[in-house]
Amino acid sequence: MENKLKELRTARGSTQAELADEVNVSRQTIISIESGRYIPSVLLSLKIAKVLGKKVEDIFELQKCDL
Amino acid sequence: MKFLLPHKFKRAGLMLAPAGILLWLLMQTGKITSFLILVTGIDPSHGVPGYFNTINSGVAIAGFFGFLAGLYFIAFSREPVEDEMIQTTRLESFQFAALVQFLFIVAGFLFMLFFQAPKETGMMLFFIGIVLSFWICFISRFNYIMHSRGRWKTN
Repeated sequence: MENKLKELRTARGSTQAELADEVNVSRQTIISIESGRYIPSVLLSLKIAKVLGKKVEDIFELQKCDL
Repeated sequence: MKFLLPHKFKRAGLMLAPAGILLWLLMQTGKITSFLILVTGIDPSHGVPGYFNTINSGVAIAGFFGFLAGLYFIAFSREPVEDEMIQTTRLESFQFAALVQFLFIVAGFLFMLFFQAPKETGMMLFFIGIVLSFWICFISRFNYIMHSRGRWKTN
C-alpha cells in the first residue's frame, strides 16, 4: 500500500509531531506510516483523513500486489 | 493492554536491573565476603563464620530477583504515548523473544543429548539463561525498533 501522507502533511504545514498529537499517536507511528513500514488501522486512517480534511482513498492507495 | 505499568516504572527498572546484576557480580567475585571480613575484622585463615554464607546467599538472591524485577519494569511499562503501532511492535517483540527462547531451549537440550550433560551449576546457568533470553530479547528488539523509528525524523 502506498500513501501520500508526507506530501499532504507538509502541504498543510504541520510537522510529524503536530499531526501525531492531533490524532493521538506517537511521532514514531507517523514516521512509520510515512515510510510505509506500518499500515494503520481503519480507525487511525479515518482519524488522519479527518484531520487532513481528505478522504481515506486520497491518502492511502492500494497497489496491484495488495489485490 | 491492561497489565502495563505506568511509564515511570521504566526509569525505576533502568536503575534496578543494573543494581541487581552488580550485587550478584559482587557476590560471585567474593567482594561481599571481603567486605564482611574488613568490617568484622575476622581472620579468614581460620575460616569464615557460617553467617557469611547466609549473607552471601541473601545478596545473590536479592541481586538476581532485583535484576529480574528491573527487567520486568522495563518490559512492562507504558510508553509516553501508547498507540496501536507500539502495541503491535510489543506483540511482535513477544513473539520474537518466545521464538529465541524456544530455540535456546532446543539447542540446550540437543547439546545435552549429544555431548556431556552439565553438572548442577551448569544446569542452573542453563535455566537462568532460559529465563533471561526471553526478557533480554524482548527488551532489546522492542527498544531497538522504537528508537530506530524515532530517529527517522523527516519533518
